[in-house]
Amino acid sequence: MAHEQILVVDDDALTARFIASLLREYDYDVLVAQDGVHALELLKRHEFAMVVCDLVMPYRDGFSVLRAIRQNIKLHDLPVLLVSMRDREEDIVRGLEEGADDYVIKPFNARELLARIRKILARKRKVS
Amino acid sequence: MQQVLIWIIFAISGIFLVLTTLIIVNKAWRETQEATIARRRKELEPKILSWVHGDEKTVRKAFGENFSTSDTGVIEQILLDHVQRVRGIERDRLAQAMDQLGLVDGYLDGLNSRRWWRRAESAEKLGLSTTKRAIQPLSRALDDEIHEVRLRAAKALGMLGDAASALKLVRALNEPSRWSTIRVADILIGMGHKSVDAVIEAFPGLTREGQLAVLDIVGRVRLVSVTPWLVEKTKDESTDIRARAFHALGSIGDPSVTPELQAALNDKEWPVRAMAAKALGRMRITEAIPQLAKALRDEQWWVRHNAGRALRAMGPLGLYALERLVADGDVFAREQAILMLEEAGRVDERAAELVHEGPDERRVAKSLLEKIVASGTTGRLRVLSREHPVADVRRELSALLPEEVAS
Repeated sequence: MAHEQILVVDDDALTARFIASLLREYDYDVLVAQDGVHALELLKRHEFAMVVCDLVMPYRDGFSVLRAIRQNIKLHDLPVLLVSMRDREEDIVRGLEEGADDYVIKPFNARELLARIRKILARKRKVS
Repeated sequence: MQQVLIWIIFAISGIFLVLTTLIIVNKAWRETQEATIARRRKELEPKILSWVHGDEKTVRKAFGENFSTSDTGVIEQILLDHVQRVRGIERDRLAQAMDQLGLVDGYLDGLNSRRWWRRAESAEKLGLSTTKRAIQPLSRALDDEIHEVRLRAAKALGMLGDAASALKLVRALNEPSRWSTIRVADILIGMGHKSVDAVIEAFPGLTREGQLAVLDIVGRVRLVSVTPWLVEKTKDESTDIRARAFHALGSIGDPSVTPELQAALNDKEWPVRAMAAKALGRMRITEAIPQLAKALRDEQWWVRHNAGRALRAMGPLGLYALERLVADGDVFAREQAILMLEEAGRVDERAAELVHEGPDERRVAKSLLEKIVASGTTGRLRVLSREHPVADVRRELSALLPEEVAS
């Protein structure tokens, strides 16, 4: 099976590199976008198995990226996992209600993040 | 003379030339250093992260032959950057790498430095290193002569996050500055339930400020098991302790303390009455509505304010109680009740009911609004008589309001 490609979107380069290195360690192909605008450009040009997206970013935040994905006829069922320092209940609920497949709070437990990503991808494979 | 001037000009030019050259050389050297560090970081970071994600015990194996002691600074920065961003196994492995590379030993030495900023920096890094070896040295640093070092040591102990470090940290609640006490209390709150046993144990030996901070901490951590201890504190002879204990009980929200809270509405000290009223509101204890209605006539503004807010927080039953108080003989109770009804949107609702199709609803609404008009607190009604979207409501309100007010 070809390696699944995951898009990591985070304006904090260190976090993006950490998540990317974790995913590469487990044989995923990873592309990194440093903001929402860059992410949407990459989504037009590449095919991804899922998106791991930060919430608070310049230009377009995670909610905006999520909405753009859900409203796009080609991408609307692309799994999105939100990662954020915002741990308030209303942010988590809003993220899930806007269509995120999962929500992880920073600082995150890397193994837990990986498990959640694997679960989302397994669910996607099962559906398709 | 001319010759001298020429020499002076040459000398000054020479000095400028030398200074410019020094600046350029220094900048070039710094940029080269930064480029070297960035290049080494780019090479080393993936290796370190790969080791962090794996199971290999020794971090040096991650670098193989490709490691020189001059890389220590770069590696330290990589480890410190990432250790703040993750939790769990990965964080433990980053901390383990810091220990294996001798960085933790360096920070422990740094705590004894003569330079205070080095001590402060070392304390902060020890917090990030999460090593249990740091608990004793950091605890000693809580007595440092420099305030900044003490605070960073406190923060570091908070980051170590276990009961042993909480025990050491509690002492810092005795800091003479109130601001420091608040910061330390925040750190202990951040440690959650692990700090609770330690702060309770330390309570008798703390200053009054420290004791008040402990009551805030247990209230914010919200462990129901602390309720009996807090109830005991509500019997303290100090007004501040009693008041803060009731506040904490309201935050925890254990309904078993309802009788104590109701009784506290009759305490001889107003801060205790005020906090008891606030707690009853937070817990929405509707059986306390009669006492809260009585507290609306309290001689102290703060008690009336909290009682009003408590009634408002209780939903329909509380709002009915407030409606009954708009014709109260006590002018302060009346004003507080009307203010709460306005804030809750009840005055607007009743105004809209003036044109309700049901005659009972119209009668109830009119009766309440007439009482409000009679009280003289007609600010909101005047606004509605001008701006309500329904013309019939505006007309009814204008008819209720005295002519000079309606105009």
